Amino acid sequence: MRVEIEVWRQDGPEAKGAFETHIVEDATPEMSLLELLDRLNDQLAEGGVEPIQFESDCREGACGACGVTVNDRPHGPVPKTPSCRQHLRAFGNVTKLRIEPLRSAAFPVVRDLVVDRTSLDRLIEAGGHVDIMAGTAPDADDLLVAHDDAELALDFAACIGCGACVAACPNGAAHLFAGAKLAHLALIPHGKLERGRRATAVVDQLDESFGPCSTYGECVEVCPAGIPLTAVAAVHREKLRATFRGRRTAG
Amino acid sequence: MTAVVDRPTARKHRPSTFALKQVMAITGVVFVAFVFIHMFGNLKVYGGQASLDGYATWLREVGYPLLPYKSVLWALRITLLVSLIAHVYAAVALWLRGRAARGGHRRRSMPRTTAWGARTMLPGGVVIFVFVVVHLLDLTIGAIVAPESYAHAGPDGLIPAYANLVASFSRPWMAAFYTFSMLVIGFHIWHGWRALLQDWGVTGRRFRAVWATVGAVIALAIVAGNAAIPLLVLMGVIA
Repeated sequence: MRVEIEVWRQDGPEAKGAFETHIVEDATPEMSLLELLDRLNDQLAEGGVEPIQFESDCREGACGACGVTVNDRPHGPVPKTPSCRQHLRAFGNVTKLRIEPLRSAAFPVVRDLVVDRTSLDRLIEAGGHVDIMAGTAPDADDLLVAHDDAELALDFAACIGCGACVAACPNGAAHLFAGAKLAHLALIPHGKLERGRRATAVVDQLDESFGPCSTYGECVEVCPAGIPLTAVAAVHREKLRATFRGRRTAG
Repeated sequence: MTAVVDRPTARKHRPSTFALKQVMAITGVVFVAFVFIHMFGNLKVYGGQASLDGYATWLREVGYPLLPYKSVLWALRITLLVSLIAHVYAAVALWLRGRAARGGHRRRSMPRTTAWGARTMLPGGVVIFVFVVVHLLDLTIGAIVAPESYAHAGPDGLIPAYANLVASFSRPWMAAFYTFSMLVIGFHIWHGWRALLQDWGVTGRRFRAVWATVGAVIALAIVAGNAAIPLLVLMGVIA
């Protein structure tokens, strides 16, 4: 099948980018978006042109490294699916693809389709981790966690940190990402110990690098991990809890 | 590994985004409460002229002589004015922050999202602001857009709210503008009420579902209760 690709080319962070149009004549329905870009890059390399830079790692939806915007949708036309798991067969009659980086002020373009997502790392540094030496794995019956809590924590822990939620947000907010961390860590024994400090630090960091959440809900449409909008409420629940308890340094 | 070109902004927003969202939520609830009670008061119009005029007069006398004449009315007006200033200030500040955080690239909105309510909040807010100004001029201050027969006091000493209302809504353009504004207010409340869940950190599934339904019912009651009045005036049922 013939696919027309309008792709974003940008030489460096300060360079002015622009779209370039290429045709891939021998695309096949089983190709993923990334494989389509691989095919295009082969074509460009044969012609002596610099290949298009994009990020990928596991290509099975587990790592969160890939992510491009396709036809105005972060990750691509298939809802709740990472770019590596989006296959041409699922696009219906769409054979014109406009591929650009994940767009947000918090994600400066490094080159072509590669963006720098360090702003998400800053959120993890601020509070997306457990700050104590947990030692070796405890006995299974040492710290009891209710089954429902464990399941819910795991649901929120499913976030792969791809940043599509930020790119999808008309406000450039990262509440879905931050909320997934806060909701996850607030439910587990070691994470609970620093709920207050974590909430305050994460919300401060959200304020510095990202926009406000206006409940557009577009993040949920693109999240490959299926994080629900409830995560946004978890951000404010944790922050309100820390505020009312007056604990800025501990749980 | 990706090269790092990240530029930490280290901007300290004052007031914080979290604080502004709380201001939006609290003042929003003040407005929903006001609009709901206002709608409830408006239902007196179905009780006839004496009923509505008596209610309008009572609003000015309530608490007298313990409280000075019109003091409750003015306390409410000042609360609403302060809330309005805070609500608008927070809305504009948050909108600017959102635009800055989005960056320079616009993206078409996605189909099949719940974003429609969110997208209409700001333009809807502008419509509601214009409506409030027109509505105050029309039926409280009695200037510019008020009907020619507008009066502040009737011969019986009561506030002639009923006659003013009928005179105003007998003009089809005012009736249409009022009805349109009610629809806008309904949508504004529908989305704002759902956003309260987010701002106040409600994560329980059942609570969220019930709360969203309650919001929809409140919004619907306000639209239906109010928008019926100008339509009934035009149809001659209220005269």
